[in-house]
Amino acid sequence: MTENTRELKPPKGVSFWQDGLHRLFRRPIAIVCLIVILLYFFLAAFIYLAEFFHWQIGPAIWSQATGPSYQQPCMQNILGTDIFGQSVLRKMLYGAKISITVAFSASLISIAIGLPLGAVAGYFRGIVDEIVVWIYSTLSSVPYILLILAFAVVLHDKTIAGIKLAGITSVYLAIGLTSWVDLCRLIRGEVIKHKEREYIIAAKSYGCSNSRIIFKHLLPNVFHIVIIIFSLQFVSFIHAEIILSFLGLGEANRPSWGAMINDARIELARGVWWQMVAATVAVFFISLALNIFGDALRDSLDPKLRVQ
Amino acid sequence: MRKRCVILFMTILPVFVFAGCKGKSSAHDSNEMVLHQMLNSKIKCLDPVLIQDEYSMNVCNHMFETLYQYHYLKRPYQLVPLLADGMPEFSGDGLTCTVRIKKGIRFQDDKCFPNGKGREFKSSDFAYGVRRTADVKSLSPNWAVIENKIAGLDEFREYTKTCKTAADVNYSRSIEGLLTPDDYTIIIKLKRPWPQLVDNLMVDVRNAPMAKEAVDYYGKDIIAHPVGTGPFILKNWERASYIELVRNPNFRGEPYPTEGDPGDKEAGLLDDAGKTMPFADKVVWTIIEEDQPSWLLFMQGKIDARAIPKDSWNEAMTATNDLTPKMKQLEIRLYAFKDPSTFYLGFNMLDPVLSKNKPLRQAINHAIDRETFIKLFFNNTYDIAYGVIPPVLASYNPDIKNRGYSDYDPNKSKELLVEAEKIQGGKIPPLKIAMQGTDTFYRQYGSFVQRQLEVIGLNVEVEYMDWPTFQEKENKRQHQIFAGGGGAGIPDAQDSLSEYYSKYWSPGVNHFNYKNPEFDRLYEQTEVMMDSPERTKLYQKMELIVLEDCPAAFLDHRVRYVLVHDWNKNYKPDIFGYGLSKYYKVDLKKRAEYPELLNKVKD
Amino acid sequence: MGAYIIRRLLYTIPIVFGVLLLTFILFTVVGGDISFEIAGKNASPETIKEIREEYGFNKPLFLAWDSQLVRHFKDALTFDFGRALDREPVIDKIKRGVGPSLSLTIPIFFGEVIISVSIALVIAFLRGRIWDILAVILCIAGMSIPYLSFILFGQYFLAYKLRLFPVFFSPDLSVPQYVALPVLIGIVTGLGGSVRFYRTVMLDEMRADYVRTAFAKGLDVKSVLFKHVLKNAMIPILTQVVLAIPFLFLGSLLLERFFGIPGVGYLMVEAIGSRDYFVINAMTYISAILFVIFNLITDVCYALVDPRITLD
Repeated sequence: MTENTRELKPPKGVSFWQDGLHRLFRRPIAIVCLIVILLYFFLAAFIYLAEFFHWQIGPAIWSQATGPSYQQPCMQNILGTDIFGQSVLRKMLYGAKISITVAFSASLISIAIGLPLGAVAGYFRGIVDEIVVWIYSTLSSVPYILLILAFAVVLHDKTIAGIKLAGITSVYLAIGLTSWVDLCRLIRGEVIKHKEREYIIAAKSYGCSNSRIIFKHLLPNVFHIVIIIFSLQFVSFIHAEIILSFLGLGEANRPSWGAMINDARIELARGVWWQMVAATVAVFFISLALNIFGDALRDSLDPKLRVQ
Repeated sequence: MRKRCVILFMTILPVFVFAGCKGKSSAHDSNEMVLHQMLNSKIKCLDPVLIQDEYSMNVCNHMFETLYQYHYLKRPYQLVPLLADGMPEFSGDGLTCTVRIKKGIRFQDDKCFPNGKGREFKSSDFAYGVRRTADVKSLSPNWAVIENKIAGLDEFREYTKTCKTAADVNYSRSIEGLLTPDDYTIIIKLKRPWPQLVDNLMVDVRNAPMAKEAVDYYGKDIIAHPVGTGPFILKNWERASYIELVRNPNFRGEPYPTEGDPGDKEAGLLDDAGKTMPFADKVVWTIIEEDQPSWLLFMQGKIDARAIPKDSWNEAMTATNDLTPKMKQLEIRLYAFKDPSTFYLGFNMLDPVLSKNKPLRQAINHAIDRETFIKLFFNNTYDIAYGVIPPVLASYNPDIKNRGYSDYDPNKSKELLVEAEKIQGGKIPPLKIAMQGTDTFYRQYGSFVQRQLEVIGLNVEVEYMDWPTFQEKENKRQHQIFAGGGGAGIPDAQDSLSEYYSKYWSPGVNHFNYKNPEFDRLYEQTEVMMDSPERTKLYQKMELIVLEDCPAAFLDHRVRYVLVHDWNKNYKPDIFGYGLSKYYKVDLKKRAEYPELLNKVKD
Repeated sequence: MGAYIIRRLLYTIPIVFGVLLLTFILFTVVGGDISFEIAGKNASPETIKEIREEYGFNKPLFLAWDSQLVRHFKDALTFDFGRALDREPVIDKIKRGVGPSLSLTIPIFFGEVIISVSIALVIAFLRGRIWDILAVILCIAGMSIPYLSFILFGQYFLAYKLRLFPVFFSPDLSVPQYVALPVLIGIVTGLGGSVRFYRTVMLDEMRADYVRTAFAKGLDVKSVLFKHVLKNAMIPILTQVVLAIPFLFLGSLLLERFFGIPGVGYLMVEAIGSRDYFVINAMTYISAILFVIFNLITDVCYALVDPRITLD
């Protein structure tokens, strides 16, 4: 269908990105999902700002009591209260900050490792490639969840180079340090493909330096993979944070979705279901939006990409 | 959608069929008397010398016996002989103690003995148990209690340090103060009087007599092969799920106590007076770390007794702290009893901010609303801790609550804080509070304290860590403020007060690293005193010294609310005794009828 | 062929070496000295000293014949993982946990594969229609609910409220009894992801030329679907199955924790709580080795079946 529409257009050059985004924006569901995702991000950013400027606004003052202990959802507290009478709604909104921070930081770390390693390995091949492949083969031969846990346990409460890895820092480090393998593998494969293309050979014949070829020519052409992987992995990072919180390796001083679900585990016995429902719903919507959007993104930018 | 439902249903179907069929293992001999008990923590080891937790002590006490035990029914707690024959004889100066042991007691049959037959228990087995605690190679965490008490034992410990491996230690080396002139006599010579000698050395299972054959035979696996003289022997130990003991066929048979407190007879506790124990054929402890499942199993009658979990309180109790009608219909009995514990927020007195700033410590102390704390976390049942000594102990000072050391007074706190800031020379830097767990309870506890201190304007950071990390920091004196607490193991306040004695700084029991010369002097003075009104007075004086110096904000003393099914006979709360299953008896008929009763009540 | 297998075997050596190095860096270099954890409460300095000696924490990390690195390699290659913090041999713990874990993971795994392949087949047949879209959305929705919520809801409603299942493991229950609810929850949780995966596999096959040929031949949908598509789709499905087998030994962390099933996953959770590096180290190593072995088996099988494959 897309091919037909392109034929009808005037014969104007369409860049890869224009084409991909055009296809993406033809899907209304994808747009809705993008809006939802952006809402979550804005919420997180807003809470950062509110905390920085000490605005006395909802989620930033989550620690204030708004009702009696364990109040049922009612008019004053739409989602009820927790043991200290804190509003569950505020905690739920605040949780977005923690989750997004964790997932975002972990993504950045994983990109910062996976992208250069993959590009360098694919471009230079030889011994560099062997080493990179060896490292990621080693990492991927340990089951993923076990690997994250091992990293999280070891990094938790450790002081490395004078920096104390408390709370979420160790969480996103553990996730980031273990999840760059997929990206690295894909980038490497893509770079190997591109290396033989004319434009790279041409650049080489002009005498461009290796770094210029990698940064100016190769990376822009494989960068869509980064974006696709980013959007697809983001969900799994949010879920990983919840599991780590449950195992006592996550954030403990501030409300996070994982901690809320974990609390609900024992509170269900006294009929307190609202914390759990609130956190589940919050996780559900961002996951759903990210999943659908990630799929749409892949279908529009690189339908052949196989991501687990 | 419908297809999905159909498929879902199809997967559920076989599962129902499975759930419907009965397991083999549940079909056992109906006349066998099995006690179903629960533990909410895993048993770590069954080697007395390595025990660190109450759960292991409890289980071990069913298999190992000590020389003495506390009388099951009489209060205040009284020592009665178990392996010993009669009470210990002390010399006039209190420095020599002679104990005779019963003849003809046999160890359980085990393959570590020749022909697999348990040999007779001898006095040297007791000496061997004590030597093992002293041996540095056995890595016992319980050495501190007997350190510097028995003549020659500390030298023995020094000697073991020079040995290369555990196998090199010569256990037949003579120890001046630990003599076994014949197989049935033990003589202990002390460096100075030790009033708690019997409680700490001869009742505590951690120094229980051991058969050397077993230790030699099993080597490091001795942790899983208890060989004792007790009423039960180990049958099965599935570490994470259950532990099963069966009656020891070699057990000599111990008579059920014939006397008790007033009221015991009426309560039916003397129905079995003089009968041979144990009554049960088997004891099974199911290990369930989560509250809800074990509560449900209790309600289904699959566990004989259980403390009421925090979040199921309203199901069991009415607002007036009485059992709900449903519980009464189910013929469940309630026992509420205090236990000898004290919980606190401890201050590290080596911390540069806290140590020099008493007003700061006091400000924190008065900023915590203990009443709300107990209401939120313990359903209003625990006692407020006004001091160090728990109310169950005889030396508890009933006047202590009028001293106002645990009053909640945020205004006073704020005033104290102003003073504290003067001493600090500026604003108080953010304080760190260490919590010994990362689960929901500790997180809520931590955030409670944090909120309370924020009210008076203190900036607090709560650090949640797992138990090993907490312990390590404690041992290395790295905490600033820490949430801690614990129970006395013997009915003597000395155990609680030792936590403030300066020679026991971390890694000893004094985690506050608190030191007060006057307190130390009194501690050393009372250490060699036998129980007397003077000693009680000194204990109370010491307690006041501690409260005045404020090395901790004392929060609460635990009160236990235990529910017991009616078929569990001979149950009496016993806070110092372990290995109590030998007293218990099950009315099998009643237990068998319970499901019917449960069905009736539900409707 | 023999040369291929030998080369493939040699290729596993650096991987095993890498895993050993990784566990060494994690648990010995970064993790560090855990003598305090071993000693426990109120450990006296001399006890700590004894422990450091016994466990070799006082030895140099690298560059010595008795360094901790050498010891780590030697222990791992001889499968001697020492004793856990509670002094029980680690290998005994793992061996004991494998049974209960497999009794949980095998039914989950095969239940999930069978159900999701059947659903995927139906969806592939209905592709493009409203049912297909609905199913895909349901799959994604299922994937979006946190795993913990699934378990909590399942345990709370099916076991507490409706009392259809035992809430928790207890020794007098038979295996099917205590495994029933966790298996059900496990299958339902995984269904979303795997239906989506198998649907993609099926759709890929449906687009292949031979399907067009088969339809052109005049075959009806049913026989195309079952005789051709399913048969060909079996290859990626079987690969997936074989490669998942090593993970079955790992059990399920959360399900075992919630239902108290004394398996390997539970062991792992416990080890995390008590900082038992000995157990976590052994688990990491053993699962990596299993993964490497099964990978090897799959590759060799492929090579046997398909003569075009060579070692790349």
